[in-house]
Amino acid sequence: MLSLVEEYVSGLQDSKAKDTAKGVKDGEFTVLQLVEALGLSLTSSQPHTRARGVQLLSEVLQECYGGLTEREVEVLIAFYENRLKDHYVITPPVLQGLRALTKCTALPPGSAVSMLRSLFQDVHVQVRLAFVKQNCVFLCDSFTELKGLGADFVFGFVQSMDGERDPRNLLLAFQIAKSIVHRGYDLGKFTEELFEVTSCYFPIDFSPPPNDPHGITREELILTLRDVLAGTPQFAEFLLPLIIEKLDSDVQSAKLDSLQTLTACVSQYEHKDLAEFLEGLWASLRREVFQTSSEKIESAGLAALTALTSCLSRSVLNSDSEDSLCIFLDLVLKDCKHHLCEPDLKLVWPSAKLLQAACSASNRAIIVFIYHFNIMSAEWNTMNKPDKPFPLPCSDPMDQDNNREASEQQSHHALRQRCLSALAAVSIQPSVVQESTPVLLEVLSSAHTVSLICFSQNIVRAFFMRFVWFPFWVFHVSRLAEKTASRAVSLFLDGDVSFLPDNSFPSDIQLLKQKGDSWSQSQMVCLLMGCVCSLPRSVEVPQMDQLLLQLEELSCTCSHPPSYTSAAKCFAGLVNKRAPGQFVCTLLLVFRVYSVLDSESSSVRTQAFTLMIWVRVMLFSRGSLYDCQNLFSLLDDADLGPMAADGFSLLMSDSSDVLNRSCHADVRIMYRQRFFSENSAKLVQGFNAAPQEKKPNYLKALSNIVNKLPKQVQVTELPALLSLLLEALSCPDQGVQLSTLSCLEPVLIDPPAALIQQLEALVNRLLALTSSRAMNVRIVSLRCIHAVSRFPVLPFRARVLRALARPLDDKKRLVRDEAVQARSEWFLLGSPGGS
Amino acid sequence: MSGGTRLENANPVIFQRSGQRLHTATEEDEDVHDPIDDREIFDILSINDPEHPLSLEELNVVEQIRVKVNDEESTVGVEFTPTIPHCSMATLIGLSIKVKLLRSLPERFKIDVHITPGSHASEEAVNKQLADKERVAAALENSSLLEVVNQCLSTRTI
Repeated sequence: MLSLVEEYVSGLQDSKAKDTAKGVKDGEFTVLQLVEALGLSLTSSQPHTRARGVQLLSEVLQECYGGLTEREVEVLIAFYENRLKDHYVITPPVLQGLRALTKCTALPPGSAVSMLRSLFQDVHVQVRLAFVKQNCVFLCDSFTELKGLGADFVFGFVQSMDGERDPRNLLLAFQIAKSIVHRGYDLGKFTEELFEVTSCYFPIDFSPPPNDPHGITREELILTLRDVLAGTPQFAEFLLPLIIEKLDSDVQSAKLDSLQTLTACVSQYEHKDLAEFLEGLWASLRREVFQTSSEKIESAGLAALTALTSCLSRSVLNSDSEDSLCIFLDLVLKDCKHHLCEPDLKLVWPSAKLLQAACSASNRAIIVFIYHFNIMSAEWNTMNKPDKPFPLPCSDPMDQDNNREASEQQSHHALRQRCLSALAAVSIQPSVVQESTPVLLEVLSSAHTVSLICFSQNIVRAFFMRFVWFPFWVFHVSRLAEKTASRAVSLFLDGDVSFLPDNSFPSDIQLLKQKGDSWSQSQMVCLLMGCVCSLPRSVEVPQMDQLLLQLEELSCTCSHPPSYTSAAKCFAGLVNKRAPGQFVCTLLLVFRVYSVLDSESSSVRTQAFTLMIWVRVMLFSRGSLYDCQNLFSLLDDADLGPMAADGFSLLMSDSSDVLNRSCHADVRIMYRQRFFSENSAKLVQGFNAAPQEKKPNYLKALSNIVNKLPKQVQVTELPALLSLLLEALSCPDQGVQLSTLSCLEPVLIDPPAALIQQLEALVNRLLALTSSRAMNVRIVSLRCIHAVSRFPVLPFRARVLRALARPLDDKKRLVRDEAVQARSEWFLLGSPGGS
Repeated sequence: MSGGTRLENANPVIFQRSGQRLHTATEEDEDVHDPIDDREIFDILSINDPEHPLSLEELNVVEQIRVKVNDEESTVGVEFTPTIPHCSMATLIGLSIKVKLLRSLPERFKIDVHITPGSHASEEAVNKQLADKERVAAALENSSLLEVVNQCLSTRTI
């Protein structure tokens, strides 16, 4: 063996290494014996000799590493680490040997750590990097103890990477950094350093030299660096300001890179990482889309916005946290709204694109967006721009909806409803209607459930109601309307389906009759209502008498509430537009209805009542007398009493889908005050005469009426009804309590003298209501008590303070807030320094 | 307080008021119990400063982070930071805080109001006074003191 050594070292015969290795493998001598034999060369004063010695050993090890024992490996590693401190000429063979050793399976634990430590300590940077380059995969994968090195390793790595300019090394360095970041190494206090040493190359500005043998492209570098930077949320606080800064640059490629990096990184982040940067990010994104000269940048910006929004949508809220999604979307909407509503239109399209990007991110985003959208569309409509296409971000989510699974039906159903209502609200301009029609028709054709049907009728109504806005449409519209009317009537009355495109209808379709218990056909009457009741008055509805007869029949006999209610409304809407001379049939009808109502055993009283109420509403709207005697008498009725009480609410309020101005109905101003003054005395009389269990109906009717009066009227009329209202406060019905409280509250600001006289009763009643089971009742009664503190109530102070101690511990926060305010105010009563 | 005496801290640093608390869906749900939390106590402490037409929050005398409440154990602790270390209003401010909490919290709560450690020259003495129930009650019998406290607690719109 010694001769082989000699020949290799002094004789510089490289082939001897192979022979030596073979010798070791064959068992002629062990590696440690080889080391002993090398002793002379390894301790030589000539560095080159030493280098040769080490090299021989390393080459042998490269061949024979598999057969080493743990003890041998340990000794060898110690030796090699020691040799790292030697002359630089020796280092390459040392590294070669170390590399061979890293492949040993019998590595003692901790060797990786010590190896790397000495590597970082003793070896020159460039050499180190080359070593690491050759071994990086192995290092990062197999050395599980590297994590134990933790921050030290990161620090060492940062040091070695600092100042690197060779693209090959950079690529490698980025790959290592990416490994570090992705494997969740504990970056410790060197997070910022690691970030800085990698981010100083961002954005990459590299043009490979011509004929580059290594073939490293700019894209490779960009993508690898991006993986590093976007790899962990720990970088968020440094990366986001960097991105915002780089977005400011004039260089297009820098902007593009920043936007793409942003899109990549937010997929890993949580909302708390983004919270403080949302404003800055939004400002930059907005600027990029508004002022863009390049389509690439614009689309990158929009993609970034979508990614950002979906990141925020992913955040899980606890009850105390602020919803960053809402905050962010508020920002977005505020700015875009501003531009959409400006008279100067040039930023409308970019704003619309931004909105579309933001809300296509997630369901949550859509919901938030739609709440605002309804408000926004109302404002937008006042501006009347017939020739501008309005972006319909809503149609996108509805198309997406069709691909959802059945399990998501519930929430996505609600989402669709909201999309539809937003769409209906916007369908005012003809150009918009053009775009929204196909979507809505598709919805109608796929609608199955009752709620969706009734919902759809709102949309149908929306179509026809809006055509009045443009005079030049009227001519076309009335033709269209006549055609539609006659088709609709023939469909509903005669079952004529010939004009419908789809031919799969049953031949004996009878939409105005209920078939047994099934209401799937009869519910279609709400579509009829939407159609014919919204027609302009100049359009004549064919076969009116017969239609009315059928409708009356349906509404009195059908057992499905939405169907008979729609039939009643449709009836009322049609009769409303007729000339007074044609009222005869109506009167006959009225008699019939009343006879049904009078006979207590009839099974269809509810239906008859509904029809009667709607006819009455219709009569009121035409200005006929406000006589309600029969309605009052129904308040005493056992079954219909509560319905009668609610009927007053219907009488006093404006209906939204029939019998209003936008449906071209004949509507006079409703003199609610006159109604009230004509009937209030009767109401009070009836109340006083009624038996105890019927009194709530009267109270409910009363509060329904009073609630709809204009404020000034309420204030002036109230004294007369005060005792009744106080009575209403002690009524057990929560609806009555709530409506009474709500109409009392404004009165308390400027109370009539009569109220002052009844203070004690009022205070007692209010205190009793603070322990009601309904949260709203508790809240409003506490507010009333707060308001009452301004009256001469000093004698009650002690009692009220005691009573208010209980709501301070209420289980709902909103109630507690009111209680605190009320009690604080009462404490200050009559106290020095207080009020 | 008699007008004409010089203000102790004539140019206080003014901090921004935090916005209104956002309502969450669970707060509107009748069946869910909302526990009392730090923010709620902090909102209760909207008290005026005795010297300036500003609130204690704006002067950073009270901060949400220095409010700790435990609903289950019925304890609440508030640390307040007088604007200057020799502030003679410290006792008064502490008293106002204590009174506001006494008036606004259910009786089961044990209230601890003290000065942020290290921020006032005589904090031990002030803390001791504030912790003593009898002294607090006696102080509130004093009508001129009560007047000042009530002025601090009144809901003046600023």
